[in-house]
Amino acid sequence: MKSTTGNWAALPGVPPLLSLLGLMMAWQVASQLAAIEGLPPVTRVLAAVPGIIFQKETLVDVGASLQRMALGFGLALLFAVPLGLVMGRSRAVAGFFNPLLTVIYPVPKAALMPVIMLWAGVGDTSKVLVIFLGVSLPLVYHSYQGARAVDEKLVWSAMAMGTGNIARIFRVVLPSALPEVLLGCRVGLAMALIVMVSSEMIARQSGAGNLLFNSLDMAQYEAVYVMIIVISAVGFVLDFAFEKLRERLTFWSTHRIELAVAES
Amino acid sequence: MGRLLKSIALSLYPIAIVLAAWESACAAGLVRKVLLPAPSAIIARLWELLQTQTFLEHVGQTMIRLAGGLAIATVLGIGLGLLAATSRTGARILEPLIRVIAPIPKIALYPALILVLGFDHASKIALVAADAIFPILLATYHGAQSVDSRLVWSARAAGTSARACVFKIILPASMPSILTGFRIGMVIASVVVFLAEMISSADGLGHLLVRAARSFRTVDMFVPLVMISALGLIASSGLAFARRKLLQGFPEERGA
Repeated sequence: MKSTTGNWAALPGVPPLLSLLGLMMAWQVASQLAAIEGLPPVTRVLAAVPGIIFQKETLVDVGASLQRMALGFGLALLFAVPLGLVMGRSRAVAGFFNPLLTVIYPVPKAALMPVIMLWAGVGDTSKVLVIFLGVSLPLVYHSYQGARAVDEKLVWSAMAMGTGNIARIFRVVLPSALPEVLLGCRVGLAMALIVMVSSEMIARQSGAGNLLFNSLDMAQYEAVYVMIIVISAVGFVLDFAFEKLRERLTFWSTHRIELAVAES
Repeated sequence: MGRLLKSIALSLYPIAIVLAAWESACAAGLVRKVLLPAPSAIIARLWELLQTQTFLEHVGQTMIRLAGGLAIATVLGIGLGLLAATSRTGARILEPLIRVIAPIPKIALYPALILVLGFDHASKIALVAADAIFPILLATYHGAQSVDSRLVWSARAAGTSARACVFKIILPASMPSILTGFRIGMVIASVVVFLAEMISSADGLGHLLVRAARSFRTVDMFVPLVMISALGLIASSGLAFARRKLLQGFPEERGA
């Protein structure tokens, strides 16, 4: 016989909440044991959350960061998905881009920030560009894998019915590769956040990453932890919301996806 | 052998084309040298720097952090992955925990790590470990879960204890998956260590880039970037090469 607590703890959403609670308790104990200024107790940090996130400055900064992230992600979507799909359907195109992508893969994208700032100035363009670069790679890769695995018979039927080259990519290849493309989007979304935060930490002008380090410099330790909580919450909510969207878009697919790891 | 050479040549030609285009654009004066130095200038400078003591010391600092973080991530990742795959309690605790922590951009934790562990090696090693652990852990977990249970049953029937089974059967059988996770973790680690050094450090390759950027020495900005990318590329392709040797006898690795 199952106990009632067992049933309750098995409800969806409860185990993650419990582990969140566990993490916070571990933090509380650690801060009490360490007793250093740099690790304030979780209760004090949580109490400081509303005061900081409803400040106009924070809202504007984080909002601007998210806007740049959306723009970079959108541009990458327009560029990388078609490229990946075409690579998956044409051996010559794949043969050309694959070696290049292998070489670009281990380059730290956020580290390009100082170089890109030389070219595009210190404004928003550079920040959007660096996010675009970071997101493009996983998107191209997964779109490529998805398009490669498309059932040939579908493509042949479309060709037999006279579907043109471009129509074939968008009407046959894209829908059947969609589960894999969306997995790429999920990894890309995580990448976008990582690149956004780290490039803002490197360039230090504005945005969420900059707020984080400003608080560190001004020894406002609680503010540092509040910003970490805010950024983590953004990461968690984006991932969760995208996962829901993905389930709706590909309810017909048998493709099961476990946790995706962003490859910064 | 001829086929191998041909495939190498085929994968090098796009890179050669891009480098040649870049080089000739610089030579023709289409781009200003201060904005984008020629590849030949970058390589020459890298070669020159590789013969200096100070540059090698910076590389050494980066390598210490990289190796330290990666070692911690590997040991913890494989250990926790095996635990989650072989014990039900382990899975019930670890799975939701991973679900909560995995989507967090680990780099955002860096200021907290600095506050707790200081500006030196420890905070960077911790950040590298925090970022590299997830691919290794998840790969171990999935690999260990998909181990053919008949292997475990036969070992158990032959008198192997449940604990010995974990190390004698499950761990070796999940090696292909673990190596894939390790390779991803390694590239992530090399990226993260560089970013951490750019954000706050007094040495290491990332610091060299920031220092060069402050004085607008463009060639010197590209050198550490090329160096860290080359390290990541060499390590990752070295592992891909070693994989065939390490995984001899694994049926799924044949012809891969």
